[in-house]
Amino acid sequence: VSLRRGACLGGLAVTVTVTVTVFPAPVPASAAVEQVLLPGPTPYPTPSPPLAAVGVVPTRPLPFTIHARVAERVHAGVGPDGEIVSLRALHRLALTGKGDYLIVIGAPVVDVHAGPGSQSEPGLRIGQILWSGFSPGKKLLVADAELSAGAARFLPLRLHVTRAGGRYSLTVTNATVLSETSYEGKGFPRQLATLLDRTRAQSLAGERLDSAYASVEGRVRQRPARIAAPVAVQGVLRFPSVPTSVRGATLRGRSVSFSAVLGDAGPLSLRVDVRGGGTPRLRLVAEPTKLVRALAPPAASSWAAALRKRPIPSRVLLRTLIDTRMQLVRSDQYQAFLANPDPQGAAKTVYVYESAAAPTPKGSPSAESGSGNGDALVLTLALVGSVLGIGVALVIWAHS
Amino acid sequence: VRRLAFLLAGLALIAAGCGKSSGGDSTGRLVVAVDVPVTGSPYVAQTIRNGVQLATDNVNGSGGIRVGSRNYRLAVKLYDNHLSARQAVENMRRALDAGAVAVVTDGTGVDATWQIANRDHVPIDIAYDGGTGLVDAETRPNVFRIAPTNRGIAFRLAEYLIPKKLKVALVSDDSAYGRQGAADVAHAFSGNPESVATKLTVPAGETDLSPQILRLRRSGATALLVWGQPPAIAAVLSAARTIGWNVPVFTPPTGADPFVRQQLADHPAWVDGLTFASGRMTAEVGPAPFLNFQSQYESTYGVDRVGVKNAAGQPVFQPPEFAMYSSDFVHVLVAAITKAGSVEPEKILRALNEVATQGANGDERGFNEHSHEGVVDDDVYFARFKDMVYSPVHDDPLSATLPAIPQTSAG
Repeated sequence: VSLRRGACLGGLAVTVTVTVTVFPAPVPASAAVEQVLLPGPTPYPTPSPPLAAVGVVPTRPLPFTIHARVAERVHAGVGPDGEIVSLRALHRLALTGKGDYLIVIGAPVVDVHAGPGSQSEPGLRIGQILWSGFSPGKKLLVADAELSAGAARFLPLRLHVTRAGGRYSLTVTNATVLSETSYEGKGFPRQLATLLDRTRAQSLAGERLDSAYASVEGRVRQRPARIAAPVAVQGVLRFPSVPTSVRGATLRGRSVSFSAVLGDAGPLSLRVDVRGGGTPRLRLVAEPTKLVRALAPPAASSWAAALRKRPIPSRVLLRTLIDTRMQLVRSDQYQAFLANPDPQGAAKTVYVYESAAAPTPKGSPSAESGSGNGDALVLTLALVGSVLGIGVALVIWAHS
Repeated sequence: VRRLAFLLAGLALIAAGCGKSSGGDSTGRLVVAVDVPVTGSPYVAQTIRNGVQLATDNVNGSGGIRVGSRNYRLAVKLYDNHLSARQAVENMRRALDAGAVAVVTDGTGVDATWQIANRDHVPIDIAYDGGTGLVDAETRPNVFRIAPTNRGIAFRLAEYLIPKKLKVALVSDDSAYGRQGAADVAHAFSGNPESVATKLTVPAGETDLSPQILRLRRSGATALLVWGQPPAIAAVLSAARTIGWNVPVFTPPTGADPFVRQQLADHPAWVDGLTFASGRMTAEVGPAPFLNFQSQYESTYGVDRVGVKNAAGQPVFQPPEFAMYSSDFVHVLVAAITKAGSVEPEKILRALNEVATQGANGDERGFNEHSHEGVVDDDVYFARFKDMVYSPVHDDPLSATLPAIPQTSAG
């Protein structure tokens, strides 16, 4: 997302390519004071998620009379080394409001069917899930979509499994990390503390950020930032027999469970090491979550209170404010793996990773299907015979 | 070697001539076959044929279809299936011999014709019959439909009637249409058996249904859902009203067939209150697009006269509902040919799953890999007759949003 800073501040004309927008000063009290638009609620720093189709999908805004709320469950099938071998999304679209709707959701969709409770059947075109009909006031549209495994690169976690001897190691890494260009400057501590408290309240309540401005005095400088959506992870490894030792998780019988928030001023990965027990089955549930630690005020109940106790440099406050808001925007981005057709509508996505066998490619002949192989052989022989026959006939005719 | 070169050149020339288009000049011709019951159900045949002709005239009038460096014009070929599957098969063979790129039909004989057409990858569009099983995107990849489905109509009728706490008698005639509809209705009501008073099949050709109506009345029915051909609906209404039973009657789209009103023209009050379900003619954008289509249709072919008058003595017209569907298919077909960039039937057939156009009523029309139905179940509305014309009901959320379409010269 490229947004421009159009003002010339302190002699520095900056075109910032960041996730924040800096607008020209709207009549500041002092000529050196800028009102800057802070990150959130949008734009998102990358185009996906939500997933986009391979080709161009026509934009179909919902009519203003209809609103949509999305609850989504993404099922990722995990192969023996932690790679994603299959991807499915259960996309529940709850419409409210009366009127016609024509919804086109772009995604690398391989197949789609109506999911449980759906009051209509989805259509499928290349790269599109289609919904069309009339909402009498409320309507539930549930798509059970098989997605191209290539879309796995937009999942919020990467999994890696290693096995050596009787040892099993699982590494779960937050994959939402992004290098971004942010900015810094001198703000006004009381205003920044108020904004931090507002941002924290919205984060703790699980609400989307609302738009907010901060005043910055003097020069605005770019700085690199690394942001990541905080992702809450809960996992279980079920072993065929009781493991002998576990590190980084809790052993209960033949099950090894672990949980963590990856991000939110904490580590971005976790590792579980298990000795013995055989090859486990994994089930891991991940959810983009709120920021708690990163927005905790230092030794006070609020940022305003902390500021009253002791001074906090405005640069620290501004940096915390921008970085945490960028992380919350990133978290919000992962709340919709498939798009919500209502840009103002809420979305909530749960990602479920489970051990799975690699899928058999569609259309490939079954190994047990003896007749199918026989048919293929007959067809091949027939083709070869035909070509040879035509060739011989042509040669004979050409020499006649 | 020279002979071989000549042979290959000859083969190439033959292959070049193996297209579905005809005509040796720079403008090709693409045939759209229309197979309808001209002598079995003239109103249905005429409205479907007129819809196709109107759309092709519009396409040709706009310069035809550009495919690569060549221009194509559409030509309509009409076949009469006499409501006979055997005749439909014969017609399909003739249409394929004539190089048809698509066949538009009322639905007669599709169970037998689709495989013949599928061998040549020629799409069939059903513009009238909503029979369940006629269309299946997976097993019948070349069959499409732009018309309300029986399944959708039955579902919507159940959705509309069950909350009214009526005891509904499910009546069907013994025609194929009636039998198929009876199955769909039974399925739609299967979750609410308490709403069903009884089920009864009546003979399709019988004009006096008095004994059957007495049985229905004694069953405790407080509403009749009659799924049958227009003569059966007229006979049910006639028998019920003759004995003074003013039971509300609900029907599929056949209730709006001019035949019903023609049969009851001497007793217009008997038609009053008859409620039928059909595909809505207007979309949320308002009635303007459909009225434009209706105006163009009527200025080209004249109005479709029902053959009855209202209380004020004005002749009643039939809006070109099914003509809209057949016309829409031609436009979807043209979009598919354009997207395919080819007149090869296989490519056109594939492209039909990927295109959509704006229909005559402003709704989007199109198909996809999972659904070859151009009218979604949600588009089924209810209309009620009064004084020989019908208007949408007010006690259904969708129908209540729809305007009445003028059906007399007074509007």
